[in-house]
Amino acid sequence: MSVSSPPMPSTVGPSLSPEFIQVLYRLLAAAGLCFALSFLSDAFLTTGNILNVLRQASLLFFMAAGLTLVILTGGLDLSVGANIGLSACLAASVLKATDSATLAVLVGVSVGLAVGLVNGMLVTVLHIPSFIATYGMLWFVHGITFAFMAGETVHGFPQSFRFIGSGFVLGIPVPVFVMLGFLALGTFLTRWTTFGQEIYAIGANPEAARLSGIPIRRRLIAAYVASGGMAGLASIVFLARLNSAEGDIGESLTLPAIAAVLIGGTSLFGGVGTLLGTLVGALILTLVLNGMNLFAIHTNWQPLITGVIIVLAVYLDMVMRRHLKA
Amino acid sequence: MTRTTCLTAGAFLAFMLSAAHADGERVAILTTNLTNPHFQLVRAGADAAARQMKASVTHYVPSKADSLPEQMSQVEDLVIKKPDAIVFVPADYKAMVPGIEKLNAAGIPLVNVTTRLSGGKVVSFVGSNDYDLGLATGRYLLKALGGKGNVIIIEGLKGNIVSMNRVRGFTDALKEFPNVKLLASQTGNFQRLPANQVMENLLQAHAKVDGVMAANDAMASGVIEALDGAGRKALVVGINGTKEAIDAIRAGKLLATGDYGSFLQGCVATVTALRNLRGLPVRSEVVFPATLIDKSNVDRFDIPTQGRECPTWEALVR
Amino acid sequence: MISAAASYARSMPGISVVLMALMVAFSIIAPGFATGANLANILSQASILLLIALPMTLIIMTEGLDLSMGAVLTLAAMTLALVATATASMVIAVLAALCVGTTFGVVNGCIVAIGRIPPFVATLGTMGVAQGLALVVTDGQIVVGIPADVRIAYSGSILGIPVPVLLAAVAYGATHALLYRSRFGGYVVALGGNREALMLAGLSVRSLLVSSYAITGIYVGLAALLMTARMNSGHPTAGIGMEFEAIAAVAIGGTSFARGNGTIFGTLVGVVTVGVLRNGLNLLGVASSLQVAAVGGLVIVSLLIDGFWSRRP
Repeated sequence: MSVSSPPMPSTVGPSLSPEFIQVLYRLLAAAGLCFALSFLSDAFLTTGNILNVLRQASLLFFMAAGLTLVILTGGLDLSVGANIGLSACLAASVLKATDSATLAVLVGVSVGLAVGLVNGMLVTVLHIPSFIATYGMLWFVHGITFAFMAGETVHGFPQSFRFIGSGFVLGIPVPVFVMLGFLALGTFLTRWTTFGQEIYAIGANPEAARLSGIPIRRRLIAAYVASGGMAGLASIVFLARLNSAEGDIGESLTLPAIAAVLIGGTSLFGGVGTLLGTLVGALILTLVLNGMNLFAIHTNWQPLITGVIIVLAVYLDMVMRRHLKA
Repeated sequence: MTRTTCLTAGAFLAFMLSAAHADGERVAILTTNLTNPHFQLVRAGADAAARQMKASVTHYVPSKADSLPEQMSQVEDLVIKKPDAIVFVPADYKAMVPGIEKLNAAGIPLVNVTTRLSGGKVVSFVGSNDYDLGLATGRYLLKALGGKGNVIIIEGLKGNIVSMNRVRGFTDALKEFPNVKLLASQTGNFQRLPANQVMENLLQAHAKVDGVMAANDAMASGVIEALDGAGRKALVVGINGTKEAIDAIRAGKLLATGDYGSFLQGCVATVTALRNLRGLPVRSEVVFPATLIDKSNVDRFDIPTQGRECPTWEALVR
Repeated sequence: MISAAASYARSMPGISVVLMALMVAFSIIAPGFATGANLANILSQASILLLIALPMTLIIMTEGLDLSMGAVLTLAAMTLALVATATASMVIAVLAALCVGTTFGVVNGCIVAIGRIPPFVATLGTMGVAQGLALVVTDGQIVVGIPADVRIAYSGSILGIPVPVLLAAVAYGATHALLYRSRFGGYVVALGGNREALMLAGLSVRSLLVSSYAITGIYVGLAALLMTARMNSGHPTAGIGMEFEAIAAVAIGGTSFARGNGTIFGTLVGVVTVGVLRNGLNLLGVASSLQVAAVGGLVIVSLLIDGFWSRRP
């Protein structure tokens, strides 16, 4: 059971909030992983590889960021990969037809928002459990995407658009900046706005939240819509990175994205977790894949190693939580 | 309640109308996923052939890509539906054999496309030789490298027969060039994003990569994006001859791709199925020779799918 | 009379209406649907999913979830195929598959009950482990050369009834007896929503949970037998993702995720409805992308109907 006190920002004295300490532990784990990997391969601890890992982690983080918001409310969004697929395909078609990056971004984000809105309505107005509602939506959205694409791919975008995914500014990949932007915006939204506090409160204890006058339905819908919008934005970065769109573009990252959120210390029961933690979770998963590629370990082992890491991370998290409380 | 029932009934009426336009023979086309351009071209070829020969086709594709249980269910349902003939791309060349035996027992003639089944009775096999394609594209790349340098192989799905044969072709080509060093051979699951990330990582591990052999075009595109993103240069070859690959060859990003004859595979298989039903002679095997698409002949292969027609039977089996 | 009928109708899962509507509609418009052969076909196809969906219902009744079932099914089927080809003995092979299934069940149960990790996370982890092992054990290659008697488990029939349907029926009967006729079943049902009461009564919730997860292994082992027999081979990705189909079938069948109350009859109806929908659409030759959307639509529609149904007076 989750032992979650309402995470009001600590204002008393200079003491760090337990959540921040949790993230610190994870950063230490990631650093330890880096340390070990750097001994095992010379190629690991190079500027090039660090930027490479950051850029790969950014794609995973974009998917996981919106998910984090939904999981904070105690829900789950299984349709995020399918959402990215549909947003990417429609945005790509618009981009191809009009050559306008602005229009493409608008379409991608709107589609994402729309799917999020439907998810939110299913969960709040029709009271369908989020797990099932978004699973149904996953297939529904897939169906629309496949019918729209009819097996084709849309590819070859203008250089200016691709810059979002593969360009560099000051020697650092553009997606990494976008990721930091997401992180800052998301952290601001969740930690320092009333909306964010209410999301945490709903996740921690919906009944108490209702009694204290939080409009639960509206906030939940907003969370799903925001998550959908993030998926829409993510689809733009995917498009720009891969220079092509196909129906299953985000599919291979759906479960890793959920894993990143969980490894990052966000509780499935809601109310506990941070976006920064999710970023560290995405980094850890990316480091594992990167390490395996560098040491030429076959990717067959990847699901196994990921599985063990998920359970270990969450277990250690709980042990620490109990320790911190004691 | 009544409204739901009305809606359901309405939906079914729509389905019924969409299904009931058959006049000639009814052919069921089974492919394995909705996203791979190869299967889309096979389906387009089948449609074109059916149009020409005044038959009707129905497509069956698993909703979960490459799902064995789902394709097996489709086969079992077809035993009940009894189409006049079936054109079949197996989701696995061995695991689908029990399904083929059921179709054989039901007396439904079957043409096998793309992936050669390891058992069961078929009228004909239509496809390309994946080993030859791997060998030809591999050789082409290694010759372009001047017989020296470092190369990487990006494999398809583990255990997939198409990937295994193509990679065997790549490695046999490598044996002919002893001065070329194979740096790594890792899988990209036939998908763009995994191939992209594996390549990004491999570029970090290896300072000098001169050539990459990818087991399909989607992965080759992922590799090209990885190279671009890292500001590195290497020659890349793929296999399948997709529109995307053709555009990449024109743009000078891709060295060559092995032509899989996807559209023609769909044409020949469907024509074979229909000729067999009409008592006309057919070939027990049509294997397209490994043809390379490169800068010199790219225009010849750049044909829009929309409205594309199948060649005549005589031209097809020449 | 009428009120008794009405109360019986209310106790049926809402999805029954959808199932009946589908059956009637397909019988009229889908040629070959309403035949004995097709009925046997639908039920055989549904048998494997039912063998996964039954233990899933059990786990969901404990307010849990098991995401690892599809992957464990795959690993058990690979084990079964490998052992069967090596020993030529179906019995040893099935025992090996049961062992794999039960081991993972016990591990899941321990992580959930003793490690107190949420079931979703625990089984997401073991899902990766089982999936990885299934790939690593043969380096991704398919296993063939299965002894002929294994195949009978899917293609044989006794008195005209397919063996997989008989096996599924036995499993259903056993689950019914376990849940509704045994003390253990009573506790499992009570675990969802009444955990406190069980603890106050001095029962060990831990051992109840571990046994619940362990039992799933038996079903998964049996499903592995059917899947291997159906494909006449062991394939390293054949069952991946089946846990989501099972979860969907359970949800369609009206089992609540939050409170863990539901019935295995609902799950049976859910599994058959999915099977009937897919079969009917295939017989009609409906476009594949529409079929993809139809599954999602069924999940949502059935839950909507369930909501309205249960709110009726």
